[in-house]
Amino acid sequence: MSDRYAYFIGCTTPFRVSNYDLSTRRVMEKLGIELVDMNDAGCCGLYYEVINELTYLSMAARILSMAEDEKLDLMVICNGCNGSLFRANRKLKENPELKDEVNQVLADIDREFKGTIEVKHYVKVLWEDVGMERIREEVSNPLDVKVAVHYGCHLLRPSEEMRFDNPQEPVSLDELVEATGASSIDYLEKSLCCGGYVLAANQDIAYKMTGRKLRNVKNAKADVMITACPFCNVMYDTNQKSIERELREEFRIPVLHYPQLLGLSMGYSPREVGLEQNRVRVDPGIFG
Amino acid sequence: MDIRKELQEDIDGETLNYCFSCGICTGGCPSAMMTDSRYNPRKILHRAVIEGKLEDDIWLCTNCYTCQERCPTKTKVADLISLMRRVYVKHNKIPRFIKPLVENLAACGFTQVIGDLENRRRERMGLPKMKHTREIRRIMEKTGGLYE
Ligand code: SF4
Ligand code: SF4
Repeated sequence: MSDRYAYFIGCTTPFRVSNYDLSTRRVMEKLGIELVDMNDAGCCGLYYEVINELTYLSMAARILSMAEDEKLDLMVICNGCNGSLFRANRKLKENPELKDEVNQVLADIDREFKGTIEVKHYVKVLWEDVGMERIREEVSNPLDVKVAVHYGCHLLRPSEEMRFDNPQEPVSLDELVEATGASSIDYLEKSLCCGGYVLAANQDIAYKMTGRKLRNVKNAKADVMITACPFCNVMYDTNQKSIERELREEFRIPVLHYPQLLGLSMGYSPREVGLEQNRVRVDPGIFG
Repeated sequence: MDIRKELQEDIDGETLNYCFSCGICTGGCPSAMMTDSRYNPRKILHRAVIEGKLEDDIWLCTNCYTCQERCPTKTKVADLISLMRRVYVKHNKIPRFIKPLVENLAACGFTQVIGDLENRRRERMGLPKMKHTREIRRIMEKTGGLYE
């Protein structure tokens, strides 16, 4: 297991939910994992996957090369970044011609993709590298709360490439939630997408999709919902009020970034994990 | 140029002809579910393979990969729709809802302009400031991805 990672936070987190960054740093520090900042890294290239492949791969390879320079694996906290960077890394490692083409582009900014590191979502780091036992050791303030877990898409799929957890019946994030003392409850259509990816193209479809999951979570009587991706979080938390208005329906589901939940169970105060910044008010009293 | 040929020539186009139109992909598709199947990945594939046509509905895919996981013929449905979008962009203008992202990337290297407001908030939280980069603009220029 590695205890140092190049730490890439992407665009959505610093723009909308810096409390996700904050709480991630807290829990990693507690677990003795050092995160090396990449503050001028910019974007992973995700959107270019559907616009222009060479631009996409070059943007992703640029980020990968920055971690390679540090001789560190890359830890990401966004499912979108995970999909984009994990798959670009794989594609370029497997395809020397594409790699050459991309390196010709990168030469212009004095960078080179070598293919020497791995990309890891932090859920993977926690579950596979740190391990449940080590995490439980740090839980000093067990929580008593019912949690609806949302995995999101690009942590698990396409499973043929991601090869993480069981793609049909994943357990990693549920187990990570239960390590905090909380219980992970079952609910309908747990694998349903947040809809965030089509928000700009068609708000109506996106909001219906997000609302459908919020409804299922509410019906299952969850106290809170947790996400492991900033964009899923923006859909369920930041946009929850406008979705309620649009669908004329009340949800009032507090939505936490997973590291906020873990952080609380490690004894951090609500403020130390940035809980006051969540849009749907979270009453710290509910954690027991 | 023939759209079919263009799709097939891409490394991601390999599985284009695997589909036998069973409809399982549409059955599990969230965008289909939200639109009473007006959005329909089976039809999108059929239209591309048989008629060689791409229409605007390809932009309604959430890229969730549910279809690709379930397809009995291992057609890479979601990857094919991403490929169709790239081919669409080659032949049409870049969709209006993507334009701001491209402009932000060219201006600062992020898809959203992370400015003083965000950085002040980060500073108050004890988090490092985010720095803009011109390198991404260079990459966009060099790869024909600027779309100005
Ligand atoms: S892509 Fe696969 S699941 Fe969809 S209609 Fe074709 S064969 Fe069936
Ligand atoms: S990836 Fe696109 S087409 Fe496939 S199930 Fe998801 S929304 Fe539907």
